[in-house]
Amino acid sequence: MAIIPLAYRYMERLTGTDRQTLIERIPMIGADIERIEEDHVDVEFFPDRPDLYSAEGVARAMRGFLGIEEGLPIYTVHPSGIAFSIDPGLADIRPYLGSAVIRNVDLDEEAIESLMGLQEALHWAVGRGRGKVAIGVHDLDTITPPFHYMASPRSRSFVPLDFDRDMTLDEILTDHPKGRDYAHLVERFSEFPLIVDANDRVLSFPPIINGELTRVTTATKNILLDCTGTDKRAVMTATNIICTALAEAGASIETVTIGDEVMPTLAPAERCVSAKECASLLGLPLSPEDIARLLERMRFGAEPDGNSWIRVLVPCYRADILHDWDIFEDVAIAYGIENFDATLPATSTVAEEHPTTAIARAVRAVMVGLGYLEMIPFTLTSDRVLYESMRREPLPGTLRLLHPISEDQTVVRTDLLALLMEMLQANKHRELPQRLFAIGDVVEDCATYQKMAAVSIHPTADFSEAYAAVDVFCREVSLSYAVTESVDPAFIDGRRGDIVVGKRVVGVFGEIHPTVLNAFDLEHPVAAFALDLRAVPGYPALPDTPSPGGR
Amino acid sequence: MGCDMDLTLNEKRLLVALEPVGSVDAATLADLMDTRQEAVIQYANLARERRLVDVEKHVSRRYTLTEEGQTYAGRGLPERQVLESFDDEIPMRDLQAHPLARIAIGWMRKKGWVVIKNGIVRKTGNATPGPDEVAFAQASENGAVTGDEEGVFDLLRRGLVQEVEAVAYTVSITPQGREVLARGLDLQAEVGTLTRDQIVSGAWRDLPLRRYDVTKVPKRAYPGKTHPYQRLLDEMRRVLLDMGFSEIAGGIVQSSFWNFDALFQPQDHPAREMQDTFFLGERWPLPEGYERVRDMHEHGGETSSTGWGGAWNAAKAKQCVLRTHTTSLSIQHLVEHPDPPVKAFCIGRVYRREATDPTHLAEFEQLEGVVMDEGVNFAHLLGFLKEFYAKMGFEMVRFRPGYFPYTEPSVEPEVHVDGLGWVELGGAGIFRQEVTAPLGIEHPVLAWGLGISRVAMLRLGLRDLRHLYRSDVEWIRDTPTYSGRR
Repeated sequence: MAIIPLAYRYMERLTGTDRQTLIERIPMIGADIERIEEDHVDVEFFPDRPDLYSAEGVARAMRGFLGIEEGLPIYTVHPSGIAFSIDPGLADIRPYLGSAVIRNVDLDEEAIESLMGLQEALHWAVGRGRGKVAIGVHDLDTITPPFHYMASPRSRSFVPLDFDRDMTLDEILTDHPKGRDYAHLVERFSEFPLIVDANDRVLSFPPIINGELTRVTTATKNILLDCTGTDKRAVMTATNIICTALAEAGASIETVTIGDEVMPTLAPAERCVSAKECASLLGLPLSPEDIARLLERMRFGAEPDGNSWIRVLVPCYRADILHDWDIFEDVAIAYGIENFDATLPATSTVAEEHPTTAIARAVRAVMVGLGYLEMIPFTLTSDRVLYESMRREPLPGTLRLLHPISEDQTVVRTDLLALLMEMLQANKHRELPQRLFAIGDVVEDCATYQKMAAVSIHPTADFSEAYAAVDVFCREVSLSYAVTESVDPAFIDGRRGDIVVGKRVVGVFGEIHPTVLNAFDLEHPVAAFALDLRAVPGYPALPDTPSPGGR
Repeated sequence: MGCDMDLTLNEKRLLVALEPVGSVDAATLADLMDTRQEAVIQYANLARERRLVDVEKHVSRRYTLTEEGQTYAGRGLPERQVLESFDDEIPMRDLQAHPLARIAIGWMRKKGWVVIKNGIVRKTGNATPGPDEVAFAQASENGAVTGDEEGVFDLLRRGLVQEVEAVAYTVSITPQGREVLARGLDLQAEVGTLTRDQIVSGAWRDLPLRRYDVTKVPKRAYPGKTHPYQRLLDEMRRVLLDMGFSEIAGGIVQSSFWNFDALFQPQDHPAREMQDTFFLGERWPLPEGYERVRDMHEHGGETSSTGWGGAWNAAKAKQCVLRTHTTSLSIQHLVEHPDPPVKAFCIGRVYRREATDPTHLAEFEQLEGVVMDEGVNFAHLLGFLKEFYAKMGFEMVRFRPGYFPYTEPSVEPEVHVDGLGWVELGGAGIFRQEVTAPLGIEHPVLAWGLGISRVAMLRLGLRDLRHLYRSDVEWIRDTPTYSGRR
């Protein structure tokens, strides 16, 4: 998440209001206050609003929201006369370039840090970790136009930022910290993106690192911006957000020519939205004029057409406006979420619980009546717990995670008994007897269904106890069953039974095998049983799952 | 005090037994009362609380023979046995044939009983028994010896005796005890458990029923119980059923299509990376009509949306995941039930690829509710949220703008919790048209969800979420079934 530090003094200067008002009202445009400090406040803005990732952007929005300055901000651009050419060889590597010249910047250390902060936040939110967009800013006065964005041999060398020697592009990927961080974005290509000036000096190796040559310092007056990437829209979003933020800080923006395109225009996009649709979606009795007025507070240009439609000019930095409803949300925010009259619709509905819930409730009632305590174990477990410790063969339909995060969580459980054994182990030091049960989801062949299991540990726990509990349980859930000798290796031979319904084995019970007791570090006998709840009458048919494999 | 009605029969019998002797050790008293010594001590302690007897505890240390010591009992220490096995002298080689020679020869020399020269062992004539032999003889004879015997510590060092702590009790009757005796005692046996015959025959009228001491706490019993967390889940379920929401349930395994794409989650969204989501090797076919979802991602389909742009990758949508939210179930439910009104909820486990610690788990319960109906709107969404949280006991609710990838407008509800202030609890919004339009859902869908573990921490006072799923039996036993909250 992007956490943006907002210095009170700077914010007060940019908005013309006091810090208390800012701290109170900023959350109401969509943000979380993270920390309130002596001289600044840290605010987390949402990932769909990268235009709020700078103090200037936040001030622009707050001036509107607080009624200090409303309507569409106008940014004028002048031609710089500077041209950029793009090497067609980049088409399959990193084809898109956004650029601008930014003049008369006034950069102290703090401003440089804030510009870098904006850059990093955009890399994260818009650039998807620099893959989709990477941003470079350069001291324009150190280089000579026109500029060339090219696919370069990997053997080319230059002095990257924070180094004092020439390094080849390949070397940068292995030896420069940024190279190591971002090598995965380019290493599959035979040629790498590179930006050079008219004298063939290197400005940047996007998306990895700029050259030391164009380092931006407090002496920098004019900036060349480059945004390169794989997605045209995202590249322009980043370009527009940086240009308008610097323009808000007092710089002037100039265009560059890339092929036959002159950019940036910083011009708004236009949309016609229905006032009726807006009022009905929000549940507010708003006229087209009301809506237009509210949109102006959110820094849109908005004009009712006199016929229940509103012509909306969307500022160029608003990357989040994909759909008319995105505009309606801004109407809601301007209206004030806290000012809505929360009401319930008049429609009446009759509720139904899920059939498995009714069965689960019955299971709980019976097990509690038998004196068992409920446990809610994890569904993620391991082969070791689920099978090895239980002396069981892994089920062929066991679901395995591709990239587990720990060795205790590598498979989804196919049974609950092993997890209850783990619970007994964790509660070894607690007073006996302990009788535990669990009910919950298992997954087999990608299908989810419910099972239950129960364990009883104490010095005289035995087969008879398990059998008696099974018998009570089955009678209480209207399950007619038969019992045959079991071969389940988790139980002691001669002290184990399969629960059979129709011709299907749906459960097992008996005395847990001492090897299993040892595996779970237990010192007393355990009587246990487990049952597939699909056997219980009324259990719903499983919804169709697409056949695994899919091919 | 002093009223014999308060005394148990056993106490009375104890006083009677003590009367002629006054003071006696517990073992003797047990013989007199024809019971076990432990029982006598128990009765005596009861009577002592009433000051009818004194109980004096003596702890003494005694020394009994160890296993090795036992083997010499009655025959003497090894060096004595070996010394007596020959006359004045014997060749060393012959002596070594004696089974105890290895231990004995060293001790015989050390005690100055023999000298060894040129392979000949010769008695010195000076072999008076030392204090160790005196102590050993006593231990052999009486089974134990006290620490007063000086030789005992040599035996202890040699591992021939071991220390045993013995506790003995002396019980003496007090003047108050004698007063009670003097007043006379009713020694008719008290009745503990009433029998069927006694009840039916009316014999119970004349029986002295043993009185119980109400100040004594009973033995703690533990009933079978549901899990405290389950009770919270059930409470939420009931609230939603009360509000007219029907329950849905479904699979843990979902295709990326239903978990992400159908919800307009862009394919390059960080949540779709391997670091955040549990991906599976399985691939599921795309549902009929998936092309409309594809078009929505690429250019906004037939809505006012621009879509995400770029090319939508069908292979990426086929890959299965452990569901990261229950919204994948809600959306499929809406597709299967296109006619309004639909009010549905789901409480189910969801999965995130997070390292487990006290506040993060790789799996946890999520609650989600959706309302699809003609003309439902944002104000209604806030209405449902207020109602739900109020029924959950959070009377004060407020709303802030929020952001969730598949809702617009979105809102973050906050509830007021005593001692914590405003706490963010869940998220809500109206499903984007990019979500509903390609699936043929024609009316607005209000949706909200929350991670239940947050509520569990607030309500059950937990610091560590893992305790919900790997619970301490003691905690479940101690958490009351009914908290008195509602």
